[in-house]
Amino acid sequence: MTSLWSKISCALPTDEEQFPLQFSDKVEPSVVEILKRCRKQLYGNAAGASLNLNAQIVLDVSWERLNTGTWRHVDKEWRRVYSYGCLFKVAALCRENPSQEEVLQAVRTCDMGLLMGAAIMDDILQALVHILQNEIGRTSKEEEKSVEVVAKKLKTESPRSPSIREDKAVPRIKCPSLESFSTNYLLPLKPVILEGIIDHWPALNNHPWSIEYLRSVAGFRTVPVEVGSRYTDEDWSQTLLTVNQFIDSFILNEVSQDGGKSRGYLAQHQLFDQIPELKEDIRIPDYCCLGEGDEDDITINAWFGPAGTVSPLHQDPQQNFLAQVVGSKYIRLYSPDDTDKLYPHQSQLLHNTSQVEVENPDAELFPEFSKAPYLECVLEPGDVLFIPVKHWHYVRSLALARPIIASNLSWRGSTKQDKGIIKAYKSSAAQLMRSHINNLHVELSDKENLQKEDLHTFKEIRNKNFRLLCSLLFKATTQK
Amino acid sequence: SIRADAMRWFGFGFNAFQQIQASKNSENSGLDADKTRLSSPTELRGHVNKDGGYFELTQIRASWSRRAFLHLDEILFKVFALFFLNFLAAVSLPLVPGGYIASKSPFFHSLSPHMQAKSLALGGDHVILLTAAGAVYTWGQGSHGQLGHGALLSEEEPRTVEALWGMKMSSVSAGGWHSVCISDAGDLYVWGWNESGQLGLPSQNLRKISERKAHQQGELSQNSSTYQEEVFISIQAFPALLDVTPLCEVKAVGCGSRHTAAVTTSGDLYTWGWGGYGQLGHQSFSSLDEPQRVEFFRVQQLRVVGVECGPWNTFAAVTKEEGLAPEHPTKPLNKHGE
Repeated sequence: MTSLWSKISCALPTDEEQFPLQFSDKVEPSVVEILKRCRKQLYGNAAGASLNLNAQIVLDVSWERLNTGTWRHVDKEWRRVYSYGCLFKVAALCRENPSQEEVLQAVRTCDMGLLMGAAIMDDILQALVHILQNEIGRTSKEEEKSVEVVAKKLKTESPRSPSIREDKAVPRIKCPSLESFSTNYLLPLKPVILEGIIDHWPALNNHPWSIEYLRSVAGFRTVPVEVGSRYTDEDWSQTLLTVNQFIDSFILNEVSQDGGKSRGYLAQHQLFDQIPELKEDIRIPDYCCLGEGDEDDITINAWFGPAGTVSPLHQDPQQNFLAQVVGSKYIRLYSPDDTDKLYPHQSQLLHNTSQVEVENPDAELFPEFSKAPYLECVLEPGDVLFIPVKHWHYVRSLALARPIIASNLSWRGSTKQDKGIIKAYKSSAAQLMRSHINNLHVELSDKENLQKEDLHTFKEIRNKNFRLLCSLLFKATTQK
Repeated sequence: SIRADAMRWFGFGFNAFQQIQASKNSENSGLDADKTRLSSPTELRGHVNKDGGYFELTQIRASWSRRAFLHLDEILFKVFALFFLNFLAAVSLPLVPGGYIASKSPFFHSLSPHMQAKSLALGGDHVILLTAAGAVYTWGQGSHGQLGHGALLSEEEPRTVEALWGMKMSSVSAGGWHSVCISDAGDLYVWGWNESGQLGLPSQNLRKISERKAHQQGELSQNSSTYQEEVFISIQAFPALLDVTPLCEVKAVGCGSRHTAAVTTSGDLYTWGWGGYGQLGHQSFSSLDEPQRVEFFRVQQLRVVGVECGPWNTFAAVTKEEGLAPEHPTKPLNKHGE
């Protein structure tokens, strides 16, 4: 029986000479030096500890580069370096009789390389994660205990499943010809629901997507998860979880650790590039070929979340097909012609997002909103919604005893945007605070005359006032 | 002979290129794993002059893989004392007449003479400047709050840090994604990214790591109920006051990529932030989100007088302290420490 390491060795080049380490001069020679040390240790007899440490150096230095500047401008060479770091790390973990924990760590390392790195050596990380997954087997869940799971029945609350007004309904059409779709909907940029065009998907037939199926195919894979009710909230954040952890924490058990309700959403993630087994279950609709770009411009994102997750009203710079696989969604659409009634955020970060809560709009703050015409629908499994470019859309997953899985295919590239904002403003109160703090500074600098207790008190007051000043300036909650 | 008050340098942290301590191993294939990172302060050799004594005054600059000394010869000092002092003032790199030098092309950036720049620090992707009047300006990438203007936006032109306006600052420093400055009164202000505790504020990442460790070692966390009470800071977009120690003021500060080191008027060195390569000097590889004193210098009766940080290491300038008794650590080890 071949050991895990021998299977991994087969996937690697046979010797040092066959192992490529070519980089542009964007990568400093000192970093290449560490990579060469890794390669030497991989094929030499050095103890695992050295390879582990050098691999970690590569990961740490490339991680820093990946977090410098904007993601779009990160040089691809540094993403390649990061992938090499992952490769060497996996080797260090698996070389000497790895424990189950180490194998899981190796899977996670591969996923980090697939998520943040760039393909190297014929996408070797994809090959390695495949080998590692077979090693783990499908039933072991002992290690996935980092989140306390309270055994609960699936939530059966029935929220408002909206009834759709006929005069506002998105039109539905069954299996239209490419030409009629193009003429009637694509070119005039009109939304429509296409029925029957994904009935042949394995995900809806012989490989029906369910929680159990996803666990078996991808349970130990690490994916990015958005935490928080909606991305415009201040406490919204992103984290990395395995699919098992995500399902346990946010699909089956919606109560978070601190007792409050916290939503987790696997949103807008190119899951099918990371986990090709799932890509086998879907097909790109022919209608996508009608776009201006070529096939490389098509991006496929997956959306997987519990009932109640909301995507605030926003627009995207590309054409979209939203294919519903499991569960249903309420969706409302507004035309870009009515943008002035939708009150988009002013900031650069959120200018493609409306400030309005669609199903609970503040009529005082946003008086024009109720006048904006819209279309709405409830998207069911098997439906595909065509969202024309720049059309504003609002999405709410409807509560059923099942999670919502949808795929959206879009082309001409999508941009993921940072979502956090703190507002700053001036006030005359701030001026007053400043002079108050300065007076305290003057007192403090005359230290010889102050007793120790007084000094402490003065410092406390000064600290508190500084925080108050900042909260005035920045209208943010103060730290304790 | 070596003068009693001569300045010596100690380094700790990343050493994969022998920038702190050379390897006794003559093989070129790399160091022993335990010499790649040094978690305890180690004296730097090689800065002795031709008479075998230490150079009078030196500065250090460190990049990721290199460390350079800037020496000033003893004889020159005696003869050209006045010129010497001027020279010291002129060595305020990266500031140069008319602007400053960056580490990537284009190298020269001009600065308006109206700024009256006194000192300037380059962060990972941002710049912080101190004027002669004690005002602080920042510009560059702002996505991690490192500019301190309250938002996460970038700035192309120098913009004043409004929260500090009216308070005279005496020195500035910049790390990978954080900024630090010291006021005239010796207080420390911090802002930017806190993912490894480099701001000295509670970091959720560190708490998760220590919980995972405790879990693996079989220690059940009794304190899970305090989870919700603590306020964690991931990004501090405007300046926060950091109490390094209630006992005295901060004299000098240095920033690495994701850690911070501060020298107090009492001659102690405090470090906090990322510790994965031993750059905090506490003989461990843990990260800390609270300032902790480097006990080594107390124990050795050395007075820390200056600090300089490379991205993943720390260098402390020390002199021998006369009559200083080694104390017990005043603070218990941080809960995130080993």
